[in-house]
Amino acid sequence: MGDLEYVGKRILRKDGPEKVTGQAVYTVDLQLKNMLVGRILRSPHAHARIVRIDTTRARQVPGVKAVITGKDTLGVKHGFVETPRYPADQYPLAMDKVRFIGEEVAAVAATDVYAADEALRLIEVEYEPLPAVFDPEEAMKPDAPEIHPTHPKVKEPVMNIGGKTTSEWGDIEAGFKEADYVREDRFESHLRTHGYLESQATVASFEPDGKLNVWTSSQGPFLKRAKLAKTLGLPFSSVRVLKTYVGGAFGGKVDLFSHEFCAALLSMKAARPVKIVATREEVFTAFKHGQPLIVTVKTGVKKDGTLVAQQYRVINNPGAYRGSGVVVIFLAWGFAMPPYRIPNFKYEGYSVFTNNPVRTAQRGHGAPQLRFAVESQLDMIAEELGLDPIEIRLKNARESGEQLPNGDNVHNCGLKDCITEIARHTDFHHARGGRGENSSQRYKKGIGIGVSSYFGGSLIYPNSSSVIVKMNDDGSVTLLTGALDIGQGAETIHSQIVAEELKIPMDEIQVIAADTETTPVDIGSWISGNAYVCGNATRVAAGNVRKQLLELASQQLEASIDDLVLKDKKVYVAGSPSKALTYGELVALSIQTRRGDPIIGEGHWRTMRDEPTHPSLATTKGRWTENYAFDAQTAEVEVDTETGKVRLLRAVTAHDCGFPINPLLVEGQIDGQVSMALGHAFMEEIMMEEGRTLNPNWLDYRMPCIRNIAPSEHIDVITEQYTVGQPYRTKEVGEGYVSAILAAIANAIYDAVGVRLFSTPFTPEKILRGLSIYS
Amino acid sequence: MYLPRFAFEKPTSLKEASSLLTEKAVKSTLLAGGTDLLPRMKYGVADPERLISLKGLGVSAPKVLPEGDLILDGASTLASVALSPEVAENAPLLAAAAGRVATREIRNVATLAGNLCQDTRCLYFNQRHTFQFVEPCFKRGGDFCYFIPKGKKCWAVYMSDTAPALICLGAKIQVEGDGAGALLDLEALYSGDSLHPLTIGSDTIISGIRVPPTGGTRGWAFSKLTLREGMEFGALNIAVLLETGKDPGTCTRARIAVGAVSPAPVRALKSEGLLVGGPFSPALLAEAARQVAEEVTVIPHHGYSKWYLTRALEVEALNALTRAVNQLTGGR
Amino acid sequence: MRTKPSKRLLELTINGETYELAVEPQETLSEVLRNRIGLTGVKEGCGTGECGSCTVLVEGEPVLGCLLLAVECERKRVETIEGQAEEGVLTPVQQAFLEKGAVQCGFCTPGMVLASTALLKRRPNPSEEEIQEALEGHLCRCTGYNKIMEAVLHAASSAADKR
Repeated sequence: MGDLEYVGKRILRKDGPEKVTGQAVYTVDLQLKNMLVGRILRSPHAHARIVRIDTTRARQVPGVKAVITGKDTLGVKHGFVETPRYPADQYPLAMDKVRFIGEEVAAVAATDVYAADEALRLIEVEYEPLPAVFDPEEAMKPDAPEIHPTHPKVKEPVMNIGGKTTSEWGDIEAGFKEADYVREDRFESHLRTHGYLESQATVASFEPDGKLNVWTSSQGPFLKRAKLAKTLGLPFSSVRVLKTYVGGAFGGKVDLFSHEFCAALLSMKAARPVKIVATREEVFTAFKHGQPLIVTVKTGVKKDGTLVAQQYRVINNPGAYRGSGVVVIFLAWGFAMPPYRIPNFKYEGYSVFTNNPVRTAQRGHGAPQLRFAVESQLDMIAEELGLDPIEIRLKNARESGEQLPNGDNVHNCGLKDCITEIARHTDFHHARGGRGENSSQRYKKGIGIGVSSYFGGSLIYPNSSSVIVKMNDDGSVTLLTGALDIGQGAETIHSQIVAEELKIPMDEIQVIAADTETTPVDIGSWISGNAYVCGNATRVAAGNVRKQLLELASQQLEASIDDLVLKDKKVYVAGSPSKALTYGELVALSIQTRRGDPIIGEGHWRTMRDEPTHPSLATTKGRWTENYAFDAQTAEVEVDTETGKVRLLRAVTAHDCGFPINPLLVEGQIDGQVSMALGHAFMEEIMMEEGRTLNPNWLDYRMPCIRNIAPSEHIDVITEQYTVGQPYRTKEVGEGYVSAILAAIANAIYDAVGVRLFSTPFTPEKILRGLSIYS
Repeated sequence: MYLPRFAFEKPTSLKEASSLLTEKAVKSTLLAGGTDLLPRMKYGVADPERLISLKGLGVSAPKVLPEGDLILDGASTLASVALSPEVAENAPLLAAAAGRVATREIRNVATLAGNLCQDTRCLYFNQRHTFQFVEPCFKRGGDFCYFIPKGKKCWAVYMSDTAPALICLGAKIQVEGDGAGALLDLEALYSGDSLHPLTIGSDTIISGIRVPPTGGTRGWAFSKLTLREGMEFGALNIAVLLETGKDPGTCTRARIAVGAVSPAPVRALKSEGLLVGGPFSPALLAEAARQVAEEVTVIPHHGYSKWYLTRALEVEALNALTRAVNQLTGGR
Repeated sequence: MRTKPSKRLLELTINGETYELAVEPQETLSEVLRNRIGLTGVKEGCGTGECGSCTVLVEGEPVLGCLLLAVECERKRVETIEGQAEEGVLTPVQQAFLEKGAVQCGFCTPGMVLASTALLKRRPNPSEEEIQEALEGHLCRCTGYNKIMEAVLHAASSAADKR
């Protein structure tokens, strides 16, 4: 990658100046003429039949322009997953039943928030409460209240199953018999949330000509358009989702939310724009958090540490509707099988309905929970066998070219290098046990390692990306992409790719993005495929433009294409720089000589372009991805044995990221994920009691602040490269680094003080209780 | 989140403020910094018809009287208290505590008197109740408690950081109301009742805080136990003040005050008693810390368990006592 | 529902300009800045003082716009992020945030920039501890704060180089 000018460079982000001057417009900042305020009425019951709703008095409040309930909708359901096996299961506004506290029951649009809330107060709802259940293992029992009928494909006598995933290869019983040592452990990951700084917000404006314009804080406009159109009964062409800046999402803004639907329907009824902004408290109580997971893992190994058999039982708590629950039980399998070779394997995952608010994807989507379990257990196994944590991982780690049991190939896999590099970089073996200094200290140090894998792009709607690169008359370029920048720098890296393919300065590339009307489709910024899938589409589109430039220049300059060089918006003959044509001249030439055609390039890309569809969420059969990323992370911690508080002293991330398109942005992703993992490990927990959230604010749901900075280092293990004109495989960096580090922290705590933790968060109380067992 | 509607007055004198506050016809509340009141109003757990702003009154700078008393205007911001040279010199324990409250932005407007008058807190209380915890608990005028369902009273805790520090300092507060003023011991401000944590009426104004001068040499420490620092109330806080006479090893006066674990700041009287007279020694401090954890009954709150808070209290008490003694003895 | 209280005429000085507005007492400074004057660079992440996104400078001091009533800010010098760059020239703090990669989604950025600017004014050469103390009320979910810390240190040292 030696002679690249843009790709691989620390280029400053294009939208930086707008953000740093306060000019960037987020959905919540939009003001349209005659705009109304929308508010939502929420259920106070965890499980109840709706007997009657009367909105008469609400409609009479001065300033109220529209009131809607389930009866005003088409009764069309939506869901994170909508497949024949897992059809959509949630109404945007409750119809006959509510199944969680906070569920949306009605909505109001009024001229000001006081009128709107007064109207909400006057909506009369008669409920008939039903028994409720909140714990997934309780909800599975035969005598549990039924929230939804158990999935018809699940034959065993368990209640409330939203979905099940099973996968198996080899012979698990034979595997355990063959093993020298077998152990089984149970790990629990608790409820935590995304904590995006920009609250959820939507502005919807239904125009007189029948066009619905929507601005919404999301992770991709195409999915939102599809679900809005479907639930509103509008053709796609009538629904336009436009771009706004997004103040963070992390998986929490992917699929349809009730308030988006309500803003649109209220606007249709009131014939005025409607803005709905969720309060931070609503986000904490009624919106979608991450998925808590119970992971029971049984592993058999030979005495030299070789994995022989591994069996999983995973129970998910997706809340009252399927949410992304059936995806996470698939993904938990997906994150179990790539890093290590496991000859005999059995997996069973249940997604169990409970009367809690619906849960959704959160950065890592199952990987943190799964890797925490596996990597903790692996350390326990190593200790039992007298092996060291590095050795046992190297023994089992996959290598380049290995075929995976699901038919995927890992292609270039740098996992072993990640492990050896990180061990060397941290002087891992000497760092263990606090370098021998721990014994009588109050503060004890330890180091731990974790390994993880992630995927870059998969086949789930909207599936693919398309990009258009238009050359302007002066040789500058406009890039049209459906990709949405949610803070990760999408617009910047795509500009870098165009800049590299066409040798155009970054500031001569204008990006028009994320508008369902004017930009082509994009898979969305939630499937870890932006750099790989949309990036390759951008490359193809830019390459298309380059081809046209070269062909025109070749003709005009009477030179072979192989002798032409692109540089500084010019094409010239190698060795004779005066024989050149500027891009502007080439555009004019195109119009003159190609019957009026300007220079426009289009590019399309999809992961696994020859695969018809996504893998089966239930059986895991089918190709999942062609892009596996691997990483090893270490954590060095200091445990205060008197207070139980733990400080993360140093986090190192050795990542097989393929190659970084923008190292500055990649570092930002690593730092952010280490911080998120730190929060997950030490301080974040949504406390719930019978379906109600106890800490719906940032005082009592503690996210890391600047006091909790963890020095974060990284080692790039480069396994891919970018070549102009060639498809590339760069791996993902946006979600993969929240997982191994969590396990590394757990392992580091054990190394420091001998306390093994089986559930997150690792609170001071848990550590003190662990220590008190030994004293 | 938005505020409910209210009427608003901005008096320019204490007398005018007091007279507006005591008007019976309108339910008025004082608006000092607003960082405790306004969030509660946004949550719908405080709903005054009228706010009487104190921002129209000038704020006097900290001053030290010839007798040595430190006089602080009740409306001093916590930032000014934390950074004041007079406070640093005469009541460094207070400066330390004030500097640990919330964040810089909050301290720039929050007032000292406001911090002392903050309401008690509870997870089930400090949120809106439109669809969660809808039925009013004791603290909202109802007849039961969400936190302790079989309980017969409210268990909300008082979490001010400055109160324990000022109690150790023996501070008095100047209270204005109904024309007459009074100087009260700060300790007397707190009722110990989660429902009505203050013994003064809501129509009174704390116009000043008076910290008496030192007798002898002082060693002090303030600790606030948090999970991550930043914008966070303490799991517990503890203020320690030790005084010695001519002999630096002998304690003439000890004050230990603990906050956030009960409806009022609590003094650890038995522990104080242990320390007075005896020479300081690691064994004595350890015993005193143990005694603090034993005599202060901690109420679990905000997700912290009693098991944890009790242990943490002993650790923090020992830590604070050790730091205070090190100041006196120069670490010997 | 309470009746609307009477509006009062308020003169506010924002980024050097004077505005005269009729304002209700319950309107917060954030709401007036954002909705009445259109300075949407003033963000609101929570509305209850816990995230720092709404930070503005009043008389040069960082304060939370969501917990201040607009009526209490009369005749006080208010500065928002929009008033920082002069004629398109970014301040050293803004420039440092860009160069060090301290901006991702950008929502916390206005508050961070203003609080850092206020810090550097009173402490041109802050320690890391002082930077933490100044910014601990500002939540950022994207960056982990590493590059924000670098940016503030860089802004301090590059300003020092220029002196």
